[in-house]
Amino acid sequence: MTESKDQRMLPKTGLFVDTEPFWKGTERGELMLQYCADTQQFQMFPRPVSMYTGRRELEWRAVSGRGTIYACTIVRVPAPNLDASRLPLSLVTVELEEGVRILGNILERDPESVAIGQRVELAWDPISDEVRYPAFKVVED
Amino acid sequence: MPEPNIVIAGYAETPIAFKSGRSAYDFGGEAFASLLAATGVEKGRVDGLSVTAPLSECANPFFAVYVVEALGLSPTWLNYGAIGGCSATGGVARAAAAIRDGQCSVAVVLSADAPSTYWGPRYGGFRFEFQDPVGLMSPPAAFGLLMSRYEYQFGLSFEALGKIAVTQRAGALLNENALERFKKPLTMEKYLESRMIADPLRLLDCVMFCDGGNAFLVTSEKTAKELGIEKTVRPTAYAEVTNFNGNQACPDITETGFSEVAPKVWGQSGLSPGDIGCFQPYDDFTIAVMMQLEDFGFCPRGQGSDYVLDTDLSYQGEVPTNTGGGQLSAGQPGLASGGLNLAEAVRQMFGEAGERQVAKTGSALVTGIGVIPYGRNWGTSTAMVLEA
Repeated sequence: MTESKDQRMLPKTGLFVDTEPFWKGTERGELMLQYCADTQQFQMFPRPVSMYTGRRELEWRAVSGRGTIYACTIVRVPAPNLDASRLPLSLVTVELEEGVRILGNILERDPESVAIGQRVELAWDPISDEVRYPAFKVVED
Repeated sequence: MPEPNIVIAGYAETPIAFKSGRSAYDFGGEAFASLLAATGVEKGRVDGLSVTAPLSECANPFFAVYVVEALGLSPTWLNYGAIGGCSATGGVARAAAAIRDGQCSVAVVLSADAPSTYWGPRYGGFRFEFQDPVGLMSPPAAFGLLMSRYEYQFGLSFEALGKIAVTQRAGALLNENALERFKKPLTMEKYLESRMIADPLRLLDCVMFCDGGNAFLVTSEKTAKELGIEKTVRPTAYAEVTNFNGNQACPDITETGFSEVAPKVWGQSGLSPGDIGCFQPYDDFTIAVMMQLEDFGFCPRGQGSDYVLDTDLSYQGEVPTNTGGGQLSAGQPGLASGGLNLAEAVRQMFGEAGERQVAKTGSALVTGIGVIPYGRNWGTSTAMVLEA
């Protein structure tokens, strides 16, 4: 682990529901989300049941990672477990092409120039030498 | 069995303090003792208790029972309210139902918290994996997202949000329970210059976690008379929804649970916005006040900025709003927050608001907001209409 990453908190995984497919996906470079086959809809965050049916018939499927910024802010204030070197941090809600929203960070761009309606694609944010987390990049037109 | 008319037959509120060094139990005890003193009710008559889950003591799942023991009560009905800032209004509604069901006859709705002294939550759940890593650690970031979407869809005047902050601050100057450090006039310049916390959300759009407590006596009209209590208000309408649009992956987040709750409380009470003597909306952030003015029909949806700029929201104005400063300027007593708005409504209707007394004391509208969900607006929305 490099020194600059020491302060990034590694997520505690699988405590809420089994999220192994999500984390295995990050290793392969795929964004894996929970999918309700009955209603053919994704849900984010992963849940113990389908939020559409209340049933446990859930699977995991890869999404494109392409979408549009639905809401955006710039986090400017440090918090416990939020590394101050990440500030100002571009935080957005992305509406993915698959019809589901996900919270994420926009990488490699001045947070001031991030705006609602911009198209984004999947990017990877290294949390440590071993772990990376899904993030987004603005697609330049 | 005839349906008893339910009343709020008293209120009590502690001064708001920051890093007081005191516990939720102590603030709760202070509010409880003040309530008994204000109403003249003997402790032994209290047979129902609703306790709000506080940030500072939430690690204890038995907090409500510990409070019962601390107060020396033996209630036949006990409710633990865990809908955040909705727990006070929600507690009154639940107490009313319990009284109608005969489970108790004199209930206290008690909210006290001290998060600026001791921080208790471990939210857990999905947040470790899907919210903390992206830096959404606090309500301001969630409201920054919500404000950005509102601004995108409808346009947003920061002078209008500033007017809410400035007007509420003027109310706090006349509120003896408001946090001392907030008892300085606020100007529009100072609001606009306040630093960005989570764009476009500024510092002075936000509440500050403080310590404090409040309590309400809920009983039937008949029992209140037997107890010799003269000042009462009737909750004539109540509605609540949690996780509004919760089975939709991509709802319009500018559409809130109040869009469902508001028509219900207007329908139940037969009142409309113009009838309301004062409006005490839950105000964790200025934008929440503006969105509720829209949702309750004071103005059309999306036109909150113009409406606020054109309307006097002070205690002397057309729509007296958060007349004691609200949480924004009196300080947010943790999750006892919702009781602050409710206490001000009852105080105004009792004619006990002193220098900031509103003229129309026949009715009030009080709301609650609870919990920040993933990528939406807020978890629970409650509203209660009070009538004399």
